[in-house]
Amino acid sequence: MSDTASSRLLSGRSLAMAGGLVVVGLLPLAAGASPYMLGLLISSLILAGLGLSWALLGNLGGMVSFGHAAFFGVGSYASALLAAKLGVPVLLAIPLAGGVATLSSLAMLPALRLSGPYFALAILAYAQIFRILATEASWLTGGAAGLQRFPGLPTVFGFNFAERHGSYVLVLGMVVLCALIYVVIRRSYVGIALRAIAESEDATRVVGVNSTLLKTWMLMLSAFIAGMFGALNAHIIGFLEPDYAFSGIWSVMPIIGAVFGGYRSVIGPVFGAVVIYMFDQVIAKSLIPVGHQILLGIVLAGMVLLAPNGLAGLVGRIFSRTGGKHHARA
Amino acid sequence: MTELILQALFSGVLIGSVYALVALGLALAFGAMRIINLAHGELVLLAAYMAYLVESRTGLEPYAAIPLALAVVSAVSIALFMLVNMIRDHRELNSLILTFAIGIILTNAILLAFASDMRTTTSAFLQDAVSFGDVYAMRGEIIAFALSLVLMGLLWWWLKASWYGRAVRAVSSNRGAAMLMGINPTRIETVSFLVAGALASFAGVALYTMSVVQPAVGHALTVKAFIITVLAGVGSIPGVFLGAVLLGVTEALTVTLASSALQELAGMVLFLMVLFLMPNGLFGARARRG
Amino acid sequence: MLALDGVTVRFGGLLALSNITFTVEKGEILGLVGPNGAGKTTLFNCISGLVRARGRIGFEGKDMTRLPLHRRARSGIGRTFQIPQPMHHLTVRENLTVAQVFGAGRKDPARIAEILDVMELSHKADADAASALALQELKRLEIAKALATEPRLLLLDEVLAGLESNAKRSFMLKLRELHALFGLTIVIVEHDIETISNLCTRAVVLNFGQLIADGTPAEVFSNPAVVESYTGTAHA
Repeated sequence: MSDTASSRLLSGRSLAMAGGLVVVGLLPLAAGASPYMLGLLISSLILAGLGLSWALLGNLGGMVSFGHAAFFGVGSYASALLAAKLGVPVLLAIPLAGGVATLSSLAMLPALRLSGPYFALAILAYAQIFRILATEASWLTGGAAGLQRFPGLPTVFGFNFAERHGSYVLVLGMVVLCALIYVVIRRSYVGIALRAIAESEDATRVVGVNSTLLKTWMLMLSAFIAGMFGALNAHIIGFLEPDYAFSGIWSVMPIIGAVFGGYRSVIGPVFGAVVIYMFDQVIAKSLIPVGHQILLGIVLAGMVLLAPNGLAGLVGRIFSRTGGKHHARA
Repeated sequence: MTELILQALFSGVLIGSVYALVALGLALAFGAMRIINLAHGELVLLAAYMAYLVESRTGLEPYAAIPLALAVVSAVSIALFMLVNMIRDHRELNSLILTFAIGIILTNAILLAFASDMRTTTSAFLQDAVSFGDVYAMRGEIIAFALSLVLMGLLWWWLKASWYGRAVRAVSSNRGAAMLMGINPTRIETVSFLVAGALASFAGVALYTMSVVQPAVGHALTVKAFIITVLAGVGSIPGVFLGAVLLGVTEALTVTLASSALQELAGMVLFLMVLFLMPNGLFGARARRG
Repeated sequence: MLALDGVTVRFGGLLALSNITFTVEKGEILGLVGPNGAGKTTLFNCISGLVRARGRIGFEGKDMTRLPLHRRARSGIGRTFQIPQPMHHLTVRENLTVAQVFGAGRKDPARIAEILDVMELSHKADADAASALALQELKRLEIAKALATEPRLLLLDEVLAGLESNAKRSFMLKLRELHALFGLTIVIVEHDIETISNLCTRAVVLNFGQLIADGTPAEVFSNPAVVESYTGTAHA
């Protein structure tokens, strides 16, 4: 790993991982999944992208966020409003919405000086404030009644993104792209320095690392990714209201998914979000119609206690024990 | 208008005293273990539902549920402590996630057992209005306020005078040195969680008699308690009380002067302002920077 | 090269450093001496920027007082910690490379190799820094990491502590070698009078946050105030 950071930011292994993700991701299409199933998978991939953005901040930035719903919600509203009121093409509005979420994250910069629980709860406070602001600013957002008339995903070169298969492919592509960005950053000197900061901030700063600046970048990037997935979700769902766009679900599900899959790896949050969401929607909901999240809570608590590095950590352990013979994919 | 404001101030102080009990439980566990228990509000909620259970099944006054609440909540609090104690790596981060998960479990367990309806006391005695000049309160609010003051006094005395109190303070200021002095930190931490559970029990029952509870309230209470410790620092009981009253009054005034939709916003804005403008809390407590 | 003027630090009610004023000349090896709790590490923290101080800290004619930690590292002040703090999960070479990239703003594998060679860490270059190194190797890594930022002033916090006398002598030779090889100015915190006398051209003594003596080691250690501060707290 000695020259990883310099020459080959994208190694063969990470490209293989991306390829694998695409192949696995396309399996449901090949298998002819029902529109209902595809709809669930799209939602789970939205959460996967959100989980990546949460893990990026948590793993590289060393900051636990209990308020990623803030960025998600800002992204959804920004994209819907840009498309509806200013007529911005939807595929352009989505990255712009990521930019708006990044701008909103700048309001949180003072929180970067806070440690651990204080940062976590400060972000939670921001999410609440944004939700209430979205409700109160009804001249712009339609208030509690919500926003309904905004464009869905377009058709490009005859490829209809608004239709389930098209949406699925688009969201899958975005998840893979974000995973690659994450890999590149993690292997760069910035990523290495960030991990060192998480271990010992002072010792890293005395060799010339501007820890506040690097953390700021991670917060901004995390907000950008979360905002883009919020925007994607808005155009797919076609309806927004503050209690939905800023719902605590968008803060909680990525955490559960990332911890379940292993937030210290890149693949973990993606895999974890998909498994957890499908488990919640398909199994937990049928067992316990109201209060099914109790099962998610049990899974989360169990993972933190028994396998704090998630499934990715477990798989890694099995690999190192059996010398890589095992093809454990959990 | 003046009467309305006076009334808001008065109600804010009354509810603030119960917030103080909730926040003191959180602060006690934090002081001993350096861990924010994100399920603390759910412990309070659990006690409130014990009061509902006793009142609806037996027709007794809600305060008759205190023994049951103490037993159940203390047991859960100790179980929670033992689980947190199992964490080995990245304690700060993992304990946040673990207690958060336990909060989800408790909220949904309560939802399963008691449904999502709002509950409050049906006791005519507690709901009777009492007037103090221009301002009014329910008798339940007055009793809860008095109970909170008594409990805070007891806690203050206990921390100051007892061997445990001194040991708790020793462990929270320097764990290593405390161990050298022959203090077993695990025992102290257990006691801290027990006392936090007891405070949560009283706070929950009191809350049930003066306000409405539903499953989602637990999480909101944790956030409120955290806001109060940010306002006050975790250092002193009078500080926590003042912070709690400030939050209660801010909320009540927002509801009176603006709208009830902004109640939560007021608390959050207060929280962020203090966090950024007065990094040592209103009363100059410990630093919270990394 | 380094000019401290009235540096004062207060922790709550405790006066950790009181009006410290002295200068370090280019090319010196200066010993910073004093009993435990005298304020030596706090002074290092002030110079490197971990602790905000009142007074003025000048380095090569520039005012450093308001500069954040990482900017001081980039302007040529390197330091070690008494307890080595390697960057975990990185190899020894990666530790140095990160320090060089951020501290010196360039990437020069040849220089890293040279530092590894001088600090006798070449054989462990690709070993995991946190888990595969013995304590003495960690201490050498701590110095190597500081060297990788290409400092002109190097602050060494008790790097010789815990060494038996032979090892100490050879480590002193190593420090002289670094001093000459990289054209360094060195400030070293050290308790041992004999070590200071052999290694340093000048010594500054702190006691209870006050500067009580400044001069050649011989002058300083015959100063009655210094002798008094050392008897009772003296430990070899």
